[in-house]
Amino acid sequence: MRRYNMYISSTSFELQGERKSMYKQSENSSYKSGEKTSPISVILVTSGSRGNKLLFRYPFQRVADCTSSLTKKQRSPYALNTTGDVLEDPDGDSREQTPLTDEQLVAGFSDIILATILATKSDMCGKKFELKIDNVRFVGHPTLLQHPHTIQVSKTDPSPKREMPTMILFSVVFALRANADPSVISCMHNLSRRIAIALQHEERRCQYLTREAKLMLAVQDEVTTMTETDGSPQSPFRQILPKCKLARDLKEAYDSLCTTGVVRLHINNWLEVSFCLPHKIHRVGGNHVHPEALERSLKAIRPYHALLLLDSEKALLAQLPLDCSPALVRLIKTCSAVKNLQQLAQDADLNLLQIFQIAAHLVYWGKAIIVYPLCENNVYMLSPHANISLYSPLAEGFSQQFPGHDLPSMLANFSLPLSLSEFRNPLDASVQEAQLIQMVVWMLQRRLLIQLHTYACLLVPPSEEEPGLLRDEELPLVTRVGGRSLSTPSALSFGSPTSSDDMTLTSPSMENSSAELLPGGDSPLNKRMTETLLACLTEHERQVILNIPAAQSPEDLRMFARLLHYFRGHHHLEEIMYNENMRRSQLKTLFDKFRSVLVVINHEDPVISLFQSPLE
Amino acid sequence: MMMLSSDCQTITSKACRQPVHITQGRLNDGLESGFISNEESKQKLLPIMSTLLEELNATGACTLPIDESNTINLKLIEQRRDPLTVQEYNVPVFTQCKDHFIKSQWDLTTQQILAYIDGFRHIQKISAEADVELNLVRIAVQNLLYYGVVTLVSIFQYSNVYCTTPKVQSLIDDRSIQAECLSYVTKHGQKRARLRDVFQLYCGLTPGTTVCDLCSRYSQQLQRVDERRLIHYGLMKALIRLLQKYPFKVTRDERSRPPRLYTGCHSYVEICCKTGMSYKELDERLENDPNIIVCWK
Repeated sequence: MRRYNMYISSTSFELQGERKSMYKQSENSSYKSGEKTSPISVILVTSGSRGNKLLFRYPFQRVADCTSSLTKKQRSPYALNTTGDVLEDPDGDSREQTPLTDEQLVAGFSDIILATILATKSDMCGKKFELKIDNVRFVGHPTLLQHPHTIQVSKTDPSPKREMPTMILFSVVFALRANADPSVISCMHNLSRRIAIALQHEERRCQYLTREAKLMLAVQDEVTTMTETDGSPQSPFRQILPKCKLARDLKEAYDSLCTTGVVRLHINNWLEVSFCLPHKIHRVGGNHVHPEALERSLKAIRPYHALLLLDSEKALLAQLPLDCSPALVRLIKTCSAVKNLQQLAQDADLNLLQIFQIAAHLVYWGKAIIVYPLCENNVYMLSPHANISLYSPLAEGFSQQFPGHDLPSMLANFSLPLSLSEFRNPLDASVQEAQLIQMVVWMLQRRLLIQLHTYACLLVPPSEEEPGLLRDEELPLVTRVGGRSLSTPSALSFGSPTSSDDMTLTSPSMENSSAELLPGGDSPLNKRMTETLLACLTEHERQVILNIPAAQSPEDLRMFARLLHYFRGHHHLEEIMYNENMRRSQLKTLFDKFRSVLVVINHEDPVISLFQSPLE
Repeated sequence: MMMLSSDCQTITSKACRQPVHITQGRLNDGLESGFISNEESKQKLLPIMSTLLEELNATGACTLPIDESNTINLKLIEQRRDPLTVQEYNVPVFTQCKDHFIKSQWDLTTQQILAYIDGFRHIQKISAEADVELNLVRIAVQNLLYYGVVTLVSIFQYSNVYCTTPKVQSLIDDRSIQAECLSYVTKHGQKRARLRDVFQLYCGLTPGTTVCDLCSRYSQQLQRVDERRLIHYGLMKALIRLLQKYPFKVTRDERSRPPRLYTGCHSYVEICCKTGMSYKELDERLENDPNIIVCWK
């Protein structure tokens, strides 16, 4: 690799100039500083009868200058001096030379070298290809094209078969930083595979790839000839762009991956390839949300959650392809922040499982988030990751949407946890109620607010005599109670059908609750039920509970015993309400009565707070 | 040019993600001396590569002489995340007992400041007391942060406000965290603190409640608990988080200068550090200004 260092310093100046014009659309600093979730380069290579060829690469690289011009470049006052100078570093840790930028890392590989290492043999086709050299990691999915004599020659193709160079395989390779997250690597591989599938299909149908390859090679040959005669170095790829649709598609894929993370290509203006990089879409507080965490979160969605669209209904429908599922359209049209998923299923006339799947899909693509349905008792607080700067684009957007109001003042209201009912009685009576709700929705969509829930945990005061060290704290309830699983269909995954025997939740919980107890009275059956439920407690705990004044009332004790398994700190008030068909006031009263053995905590729901805060 | 493909992927996915640091002589250089083209030494390639693979996966390091004059030394380096920039108002706290570290293994700057890292002094203070330039202290602490020797917490004040995170649940769910916490927060010389008390204390930290309020409300629970260590532990394990005040100047007047520090981007602590004002001074000044609104987050 040492041989290529010379080329790097000579091309650095040109690269910077080119970089500015090409990357105008994304001027954010993360782009320039070597964003770990962005690819460094996209490369198309093929292998065939004419050997290994690099057809296209983007970003461009100037053809390496010869060594004599190297010294000339160094004397240029604008040249980036990559050796020797110690640059001002705000952290004070000086390094001997500035590290190479990403583009320079890949620029160091010439076309021929890349073609050799990336165009694999046929036996590596159809699998993930990954190669790491120094600080660059290449990932792709080499794809075998069928043997030429089985391809139907398109009638419109004028060139006779024997003159066509036969392509055996091709690969769309993405170059990433070597320390990219493994999930990013597998996402890039996924995209490479999708593009490969589309290209393979089009090749079989009408030799699309062969034609594009021919064009690209022709331009490359042309430019090489020109360089030899004129002596002025030029990038052949720049000439290829206007002539080849495939080159433009690859450029678009690269640019999209570096900016929005959403890729939508139309290969040969016919096949659509769509892809999203969750790391770019789900970014909170400067960090990306790991797709695995995302998936876990989505599997924990409950029927009492709601789907909050991040775009207007109209905008979202406009983004859908023509042949999208009608269920999706129905869902988007009936969706609302005040409706939970169960109600949504009824209104949209879809079953709950479908709703979960579509909701998960929308969330994955960054088009919606999961919230608790808006209601009076919801308590909101300012998110620790909220951008509350006076001059942020959010502040501007808010003033445009709600003239006469400014975002900082509105956010200041939520410095302390505030319930919606309290928020709706502001001192400023001129603001209408409906608008207030709209403001809250606006702030939720931009992840400025988090919702706080109440959880309860059973912790009995330890007895006075303390025989051993850990005896008092031994095995809190959570480890002793086997715990019924109160989760949604666990087989929920993206796209694949799930088994219907998981789907038992069609109506609030008569099945899930332990409300099989007969109402009324101190019947022996009830008493025994209560005893059984309390059996999982230690003798000491049972004694303490039974000594509480409220426990003297059999009704209260029964309710407490019935809900015991929720008091582990993992189920919030609203969940208990939903599962047990209880009112908030009932539960709150119970908490109050048994407060000597319960500890009440308030924090955000870790399941859906994923969308507000990144995981460390 | 020879390239070792990552066959190690089939063994452990972790191994191949980590850069293999070549401590002496590049692999390529060592083999350039005709090793590959020579027929008999070529035979050795396969056993060399399998040994490399085995040893790297087992111990993470490998020293392998390939002929009389060339040796390959390889070591797997753990990928660590880039640390956050250390600010003057951050407070470094040792994650493990200080005595575990052999002082002489660290650089001079670190050795000089080690004594001043007590979990309560912030960077600016350490710099002043240890008589080491601020930037050097920052770099040294950043280095310690990178290796996981310290973490950063906020300056402790009784007027601080904290609130619980969902992770506070781990105190109930995880026995090891329980044990660690209880031994950390127990007051020196007292009997071990009780889980219920400690948990109640953490849950008592809510928006609007200062540490001072907590102390007066839960005085019974605090009999065996050191509140400063309680806060420390909570911050280190992310069981609680600090709520900071961010002032904004809401200018009604078009002609007045746009605010420089009161934009919602700088917390009180930052402003104090930058302007040299004490927290109390700043608080008094801003409380009385009708154009200033404050957000907590």
